[in-house]
Amino acid sequence: MSRMKRGRGMAASWYGIARTATIDRAGAWAELDDGGTGKVVTGVTEIGEGILTVLAQIAADEMGIKPEDVTIGDNDTARSPEAAHAGATRQTYMIGNSVALASREAFRVLGEEMAEHWDVDINDLRAFDGELWAEGTNHRMSMDDAVATCKARGIVPVGSASFTAHGTGLDPMDGSGNPWQAYVFGTQVAEVEVDTWTGEVQVLGIWAAHDVGRAINPRGVEGQIEGGVVQGLGQALMEEYITDKGHAITHGFAKYILPTSLDIPQINSIIIEDPDPKSPLRAKGIGEPSLVPTAPAIMNAIYDAIGVRIKTLPATPEKILKALRDHVPGHTQIARDNRSLRAKTARHGAVTV
Amino acid sequence: MPKLTMDAEVNGRKVRREIQPYSRLLDFLRDNLNLTGTKEGCGAGECGTCSVFVNGKLVKSCLMPAAKAQGTRIETIEGLAGLGDLTPVQRAFHKTGASQCGYCIPGMVMAATAALRENPGADIEEIKERLGGNICRCTGYTKIFEAVEMAKAVIAGDAPETVLEEDKVGDSYIGANVRRLDAPSKVSGRLKYAADMKMHDMLQMQVLRSPLAHAKILSIDTSEAEAMEDVVCVITEEDVPGNDGFGVFVHDQPIMARGKVRHVGEAIAAVAAENVLTARKALSKIKVEYEALPGLYDPADAMKPGAPVIHDYAPDNLVKHIPVRKGNVEKGFAEADLILEDDFRTQQVEHAYLEPEAGIAYVDPDDVVVVISPSQNITHHRHMLAEIIAKPINKVRFIMSPVGGGFGGKEDMIYQGMLALCAMKTHRPVQLNFTREESLIASAKRHPARIHYKMGLTLNGRITAISFDMLSDGGAYGMSSEGVMRKAAILSCGPYEVKNLKVDTRAVYTNNTPSGAFRTFGAMQAQFATESMMDMAAEALGMDPFEIRRINMMKIGAKTHTQQTLETASLDRVLEAAETASRWEKGVPNVRGAERDDLNGPDTRQPCTLGARIKGSRNETHPYEKVA
Ligand code: FES
Ligand code: FES
Repeated sequence: MSRMKRGRGMAASWYGIARTATIDRAGAWAELDDGGTGKVVTGVTEIGEGILTVLAQIAADEMGIKPEDVTIGDNDTARSPEAAHAGATRQTYMIGNSVALASREAFRVLGEEMAEHWDVDINDLRAFDGELWAEGTNHRMSMDDAVATCKARGIVPVGSASFTAHGTGLDPMDGSGNPWQAYVFGTQVAEVEVDTWTGEVQVLGIWAAHDVGRAINPRGVEGQIEGGVVQGLGQALMEEYITDKGHAITHGFAKYILPTSLDIPQINSIIIEDPDPKSPLRAKGIGEPSLVPTAPAIMNAIYDAIGVRIKTLPATPEKILKALRDHVPGHTQIARDNRSLRAKTARHGAVTV
Repeated sequence: MPKLTMDAEVNGRKVRREIQPYSRLLDFLRDNLNLTGTKEGCGAGECGTCSVFVNGKLVKSCLMPAAKAQGTRIETIEGLAGLGDLTPVQRAFHKTGASQCGYCIPGMVMAATAALRENPGADIEEIKERLGGNICRCTGYTKIFEAVEMAKAVIAGDAPETVLEEDKVGDSYIGANVRRLDAPSKVSGRLKYAADMKMHDMLQMQVLRSPLAHAKILSIDTSEAEAMEDVVCVITEEDVPGNDGFGVFVHDQPIMARGKVRHVGEAIAAVAAENVLTARKALSKIKVEYEALPGLYDPADAMKPGAPVIHDYAPDNLVKHIPVRKGNVEKGFAEADLILEDDFRTQQVEHAYLEPEAGIAYVDPDDVVVVISPSQNITHHRHMLAEIIAKPINKVRFIMSPVGGGFGGKEDMIYQGMLALCAMKTHRPVQLNFTREESLIASAKRHPARIHYKMGLTLNGRITAISFDMLSDGGAYGMSSEGVMRKAAILSCGPYEVKNLKVDTRAVYTNNTPSGAFRTFGAMQAQFATESMMDMAAEALGMDPFEIRRINMMKIGAKTHTQQTLETASLDRVLEAAETASRWEKGVPNVRGAERDDLNGPDTRQPCTLGARIKGSRNETHPYEKVA
């Protein structure tokens, strides 16, 4: 009978993308600017998740330029179009699609001029990474020159767009309705080691498979999964804001315990792409969904390891020890073995297990 | 108090400044030298955002009196690389995507730099230990570890510098690992968050907060505070010109307490003064007379008849009830071979973004009231503030400053209204920076939940009915409770097609710290219960956990709990991906950890033994018995 016990558990999950049970919308403006650069303006962007980079990638792809050549003007209610809020796993879906559509429009304006200029079909125009060309011809030009050509013809290549997600409200009696037009699914497996003497749980591995529709920036998606998993781990094992008659007891980071570098499992992310049929980008989202299955996967793993089912989060060492001590039918063996092992240790000072 | 003269060498330059005798090294760097890359995440030595080198040693500058650094050589994030350049550590953070919101990142870069300076050969376990004093709330640390290991290899010459460069792009930027465009400004400490910004002639604001959870306010006397030298204005709810009230769904919260306080930490009055210290002193001169009211601290008590009423508009203390019904649960349970019934609870959780709330407001020459803050919802804040200060909407302008972590916690307009009022009253820029403690007691938390669950299944694992009842403590104000209850209800029973279900989610008012939006918006609380039940059912029925989920999973064409028909569904794919990637050994979840053969693989980490690590391969040197 060993002190350290390992086990594994899993949990599945689902989530809706963008605002819930309501219509959601976001606006953006775009311009193909001098030097073959791009300018995008939209109402809300970065809260740390990496959306600025994602938007630059999207705009660059639509306008045939480089992401580093995209300037984003944002986050100002008096200077940019409404894009609503930064939350609800809506940024890639809502802002991403509106930026894609606005950029596409700006490129179309330029394309019309260039098609006429080259006397080719607009549908044969292609652009990527700062170059514009017409398929099946030897017309080729830098985007820098293409913008200059367009402007010389008297046209500024600008576009604007609004993207809508058609959620509907819920019936007040039976809750029926279509709250989202896009859903994502996820599954995580957790491997834990429980110290049956101290009650401490270490999460050693997480396998996190999440459908994101389409990964615009896979590394960024991994970052969202890793961050979500660790917040889930914190909630599973240590975090608890406690009040006593309304007064916070955990009023500093000395009392409110957060995961640090020593608590981090190896996180193995698996990105699944099930494209969204209802949006031009076909991407969905990952910000919130990555957190959902972590805590139950860990609780299921703890049960696998020691036969204790924690139904009240967080699974602190005290709770685990108490549960091991308490008489749980069918699981007395672990507690008993544990006690005799501890007694042995007390007698001999150390134990070889 | 007489000032001190502080001499030091900072980032290679000699500097001399007059400082306050009580200044911390952090204040000297931020306030006297404008080196705002060094952040104040907690002010108590617990987060590491303020890490700098003093005479080559890594210190937390919030803990060091400035005078103790007299005559020393100080290095901050701004001084690590030459102007416009980045060190290998910084470049590696850029490459791996190790910075998200970026607020912890200067401190993290300093700690990583210290680790590699002190032991250029540090292994990953040592690196983790050396980063142990630095908290990051965004990244899950994984990309940070990757960055430090990458930098270590480059510095040691084990990897070419080219590994730090961006990956080549194929024929599309969609799907490419483009490096974060904002990373260089974050890894070098150049990005200015709201607390780092300074404006000419700017005042500092401080907020008087309630020491009581539930009380009538009989009177507020601000005269003594107002008479103080260097105090420019004091505001209370009486100064609000328009319709006072904000909230994500119901506008039940005044920008400062109006007639009564409903939770500890609620704002009552605010002072704007020439400096923070004066503003803080002035708070202690404001006299508030209270009449204590009976408090409500348990959501179950809130629903009892005769319970104290927190908000007059809601005599039953109910913020929101969301029902979802489908099929016929009685019939479903009658068809079941097995019925499981249990209770689950989740706790209140703090967002713990590393950047405490901060903001600046000013009135521009066109009489537009401008608020700069890390708000996650500038659109809605603009609507609400226009109402509160009785201005046309185009005379209110919200600018979202770089957000040092939000996770839903910065969706509530808990301080922007006070800033705007002070700016309007003084016609000067006004800044407010929360302390960590203030942030903890005044900002919303994740809804704690109590869930009563009943699930019926057939012997072959098919769910026949679920009844799901969730009660949440919404705390003193409505904030996002309605939406959280809605999302919890919609997603409650998990990604399974359940023919018969009865779901109720309720949030109630209490006198606890308000609950609000938090990453997953109720979904994790609900699905924690569902996923626990699924495993309990699998054990009872002798099935593998993946198998029982496959039997019930939503597929294309499935009807969701709210009776929406799914046009796409990927649960089969993610289940298979997780099962394969984890090398899952099939079996009944009946405490079989000791017999499993899929444990301890190369895709797990070693257990942490804090300093007592033994070098060598994991299997033979694991200090405890090999489990498998
Ligand atoms: S450790 Fe100094 S601010 Fe947190
Ligand atoms: S990136 Fe570390 S706290 Fe946000």
